[in-house]
Amino acid sequence: MAGHILKNYDEELEQLKDNVLQMGSGVMSAMEKAIKGLLEGDREQCSDVVDEDEAIDRAEKQIDEQGMSILMRFNPVASDLRLVLSSINVCRSLERIGDHAVNLAKRSRKILKAGEVPEARLIEPLYLQAQKIVSLALTAYSDIDEETAMNVIAMDQEVDRIHKTLSKSLSSKIADGGTTQTESLLHILFISRSLERIGDLAVNVAEDVVFITSAEDIRHT
Amino acid sequence: MNDDSVTLDSADAPVMGIDETIIKIDDLSFSYDLGKTNTLRNISLDIPAGKVTAFIGPSGCGKSTLLRCLNRMNDLVDTAKVTTGKISILDQDINAPDVEAIELRKHVGMVFQKYNPFPKSIYENVAYGLRVQGIKNKGVLDEAVEESLKKSALWSEVKDRLDSSALGLSGGQQQRLCIARTIAVKPQIVLMDEPCSALDPIATARIEELIAELRQEFTIVIVTHNMQQATRVSDRTAFFYLGELIEYADTAKIFGNPSKKQTEDYVSGRFG
Repeated sequence: MAGHILKNYDEELEQLKDNVLQMGSGVMSAMEKAIKGLLEGDREQCSDVVDEDEAIDRAEKQIDEQGMSILMRFNPVASDLRLVLSSINVCRSLERIGDHAVNLAKRSRKILKAGEVPEARLIEPLYLQAQKIVSLALTAYSDIDEETAMNVIAMDQEVDRIHKTLSKSLSSKIADGGTTQTESLLHILFISRSLERIGDLAVNVAEDVVFITSAEDIRHT
Repeated sequence: MNDDSVTLDSADAPVMGIDETIIKIDDLSFSYDLGKTNTLRNISLDIPAGKVTAFIGPSGCGKSTLLRCLNRMNDLVDTAKVTTGKISILDQDINAPDVEAIELRKHVGMVFQKYNPFPKSIYENVAYGLRVQGIKNKGVLDEAVEESLKKSALWSEVKDRLDSSALGLSGGQQQRLCIARTIAVKPQIVLMDEPCSALDPIATARIEELIAELRQEFTIVIVTHNMQQATRVSDRTAFFYLGELIEYADTAKIFGNPSKKQTEDYVSGRFG
């Protein structure tokens, strides 16, 4: 699409998108550190995630402010308006993914403190799938690509499936009572739950991308 | 209008329900140079009764020309000519030989970009059209002047100085007076050609508020360069470019998700 007559309008929209993508990369790095910390037994990495969440929260506020400024100064309409509104929504979803990453990190620290638990390894496939769809959702947003966004929505089913299987297995282990690591297993269960929620938030991002491209609100459908 | 013509007379005019077509433009082409070049090309659109329809587009796109076709203001240009198609208002072809422009304009009033009250009193400005129609009864005139000024949201500001010169009013008040003058003769349709372009933001807001009130009673067609204004005041929007109608749809659609790329590019400030 051709640029706007007002060059700084284009620049502001581009900057807004860049800031959302930068926030997205911060959030993905937080997820990675939290899980790596758990799998590699590195509590420091987990603590970094907790400390760095403030930067993610700041980014959210900055994007809100920038979106409001664009609405005020340029009165965007049509796809520009959808881009601004969706960017604000995307950053809201990213902030919540960031909060889940903090949950992952805090629970990972607790698991590590309690001593090694072999079931922690079971998280990895779920994490990889969740990470994949968050990354793909950000690509869809970056390229404003509806097809990729629809793939994200479809791929979330795999996240749900892995989470369901894992929860079942962890729950039955806890219910059997034959373990001394119940608390750690519960933490793993909650980590699994957070990763499943992260998948749902990636779906929200994808739905926002579909709204930008087609003006259709496909949420709750 | 000759004795045989029966249409466009208020007594015979059908009662238009909301969403019924009151103005039907069918394949209209229009030329300012006796048909050598067409300023408007093959325009077809139906304007619904009781709604506000906005015409938008860059300068020279033909939106004001089309507006002026609706009450035959272009008759004042010697070389102006409808080259194809027709405009029907209340099912009457307005360019038919038996339709007189003056009669047409009783039903299709117009408010211009630059407010143009007569150098007369406030009262006489509003009563003017009625006097031209031959109404002399002071009571009838008083009532009509008060009603029109109230509908134009000007009554409370001028009721104590109806005999003062209209030229002493502020710009925004003068424009509202022109609207009062237009609606005093009870037209079915009010055309507005950039009615706020000479006004400050507060006066503009008052006119926009007034348009929202008037749409209960009149069909309004407004030409505006201010796209935010079109989104605020209109129900339907028509986008014109180089003499052609590019897209005509609900205003929410035109500014939310237009079907044509040209429309999207124009409303989002990518050209114009």
